[in-house]
Amino acid sequence: MKSKMDIGKKVDDALHSIDAIERASVPPFFFTRLEARMQKGKTFWEKASVLLTNPIFAFGSVCLILFFNVYVIATAPSGMNIAQQTNDLATVDEYSQVSSNLFEFENLKP
Amino acid sequence: MEERDLINLLKQKDRDAFKTVVEAWQDMVFNTALGILQNEEDAEDTAQEVFIQVFESIDTFKEESKLSTWIYRITVSKSLDNIRKKKAKKRLSFLKSFFKEDGQVIEPPDFLHPGIKLENKENAKALFKAMEKLPPNQKTAFVLNKMEGLSYQEVGEIMEISSSAVDSLLQRGRQNLKKELKTQFEAIND
Repeated sequence: MKSKMDIGKKVDDALHSIDAIERASVPPFFFTRLEARMQKGKTFWEKASVLLTNPIFAFGSVCLILFFNVYVIATAPSGMNIAQQTNDLATVDEYSQVSSNLFEFENLKP
Repeated sequence: MEERDLINLLKQKDRDAFKTVVEAWQDMVFNTALGILQNEEDAEDTAQEVFIQVFESIDTFKEESKLSTWIYRITVSKSLDNIRKKKAKKRLSFLKSFFKEDGQVIEPPDFLHPGIKLENKENAKALFKAMEKLPPNQKTAFVLNKMEGLSYQEVGEIMEISSSAVDSLLQRGRQNLKKELKTQFEAIND
């Protein structure tokens, strides 16, 4: 019982311990350090992180990517399909229609 | 100098006006940040960030409130941001400790505010430890009211809530602090 009362008193004392608190002051030469920091400016990565974490920038980027996707799909030639592309590649393979190779022209001169 | 003139000069990026603003409110900003962050280095860092934002964003200040209220708002918001960053770092270092052989997370020592009277030192240490467990809005209201000595109305203006909401926040804060202090003292007695 006594210990409960003791704890109750301690709790009240702790709650009142900051009643007469004095305001803390900044360390000396605060303004000098602040000016130095302002002159130093932000590094590239600090600037980049501010930009990248901006929700407007993130949302804008997603919209831009979606727009390009839709644009590519909408402007693709209608007759072009995957089967035709595969056939084209097969023809290239069959007839060895490869671009000229620099090594073929090596040692042409005796 | 009138506050309005000071704001106008600040908008023109006048260095002397900026120095006047810093010198007028540096202790207010530092003390508030210190109450919330409970670390002098972090509080100074936050105070610098606050004044940089004041200088850079003065054009967005609509003069609907006092300049000091606006600076208080920036201070609270920056301090709470820094707490979130610190918590994230703490979680990361806790995870890293699993991958180290002698993995131990170093706990910071108990905080003691420099403005506390010597006879209240031990009790205040316990109180600041308990304050760390408070939700951000209760902690903010408690710091502004108890450490900065602001009225309920002033706290309400800073936090953009009514005076009755401040009263209710402070009551809940006190109850939570009592619970936490009781747990602390019981643990010492056991």
